[in-house]
Amino acid sequence: MEYANLRRQAASLKRSLFDQGYLDEQFCQVEDLQDEASPNFAEEVVSLFFKDSARLVANIEQAMEKYPGDFNRWDAHMQQLKGSCFSIGASKMSNECTSFRNSCAEENAEGCRRSFQKVKREHAILRQKLESYFQLLRQAGPARTATRSGGK
Amino acid sequence: MTTSTVQGSPVKALIVEDTPVHAFILSTILRKFHCEITVAENGNEAVQLFLEGKKFDIIFCDKEMPVMPGPEAIEKIRALGESHVKIVGVSAGYDLEQSFMSAGADIFLPKPMKFDVVGPIIQEVMNKKNNSMV
Repeated sequence: MEYANLRRQAASLKRSLFDQGYLDEQFCQVEDLQDEASPNFAEEVVSLFFKDSARLVANIEQAMEKYPGDFNRWDAHMQQLKGSCFSIGASKMSNECTSFRNSCAEENAEGCRRSFQKVKREHAILRQKLESYFQLLRQAGPARTATRSGGK
Repeated sequence: MTTSTVQGSPVKALIVEDTPVHAFILSTILRKFHCEITVAENGNEAVQLFLEGKKFDIIFCDKEMPVMPGPEAIEKIRALGESHVKIVGVSAGYDLEQSFMSAGADIFLPKPMKFDVVGPIIQEVMNKKNNSMV
């Protein structure tokens, strides 16, 4: 059955996201909130995350350009992004946010720039992988229970 | 996650949170317990709600927010005489618990929040609210 195959592919992709450290347990907690009343809740949360995180990344980029050396400001913006990462279990991205904040604490501008590039890279990768995951789930359709084929 | 049968008026919950994703997730959890939800994006907005005479049964308050951080908002809310409202401080890092508790919070929950701890807290508030109405 195509449905079963797509579900298997989605499950495999999700497993790899955990195995490779892109996601942690918090993502499962988000998916567990899904129910009949909110069947697409996880996708809605992830969509909101990427909308908000894109804004936050742009804010950080702007802050680094307009306020060079203002590590407190840079840190404040990155803290918001890190908080957002926490909410969906985006652990790799969250770790890169921490690296950036550590560089801010050390007033290491070059370290901040390097970390920020990594944050953006992880953001793009995670976005692509989660889009693929939810696309597979959408193609598979809602979970179905097994039915006995009709007979005479 | 199980929800209990709702009796009496709904719990009025205030979420003080500048991260839209957190606010959305927590709102969804609280809706499962039939809470009436208001969201403030920073501590100052939360304090303003109380100054306008709004009442809440429970507040979930983040720490680091623009304009006014959580603990400062909690101090101001308590200073308005709002001793009855249950205040839950929510933030990443266990070392932040003290700043919330010193400000007047009742409970601290670390981020990422374990969703199954929210239910018993809401149930307790619901029970207290319903008992006070008897």
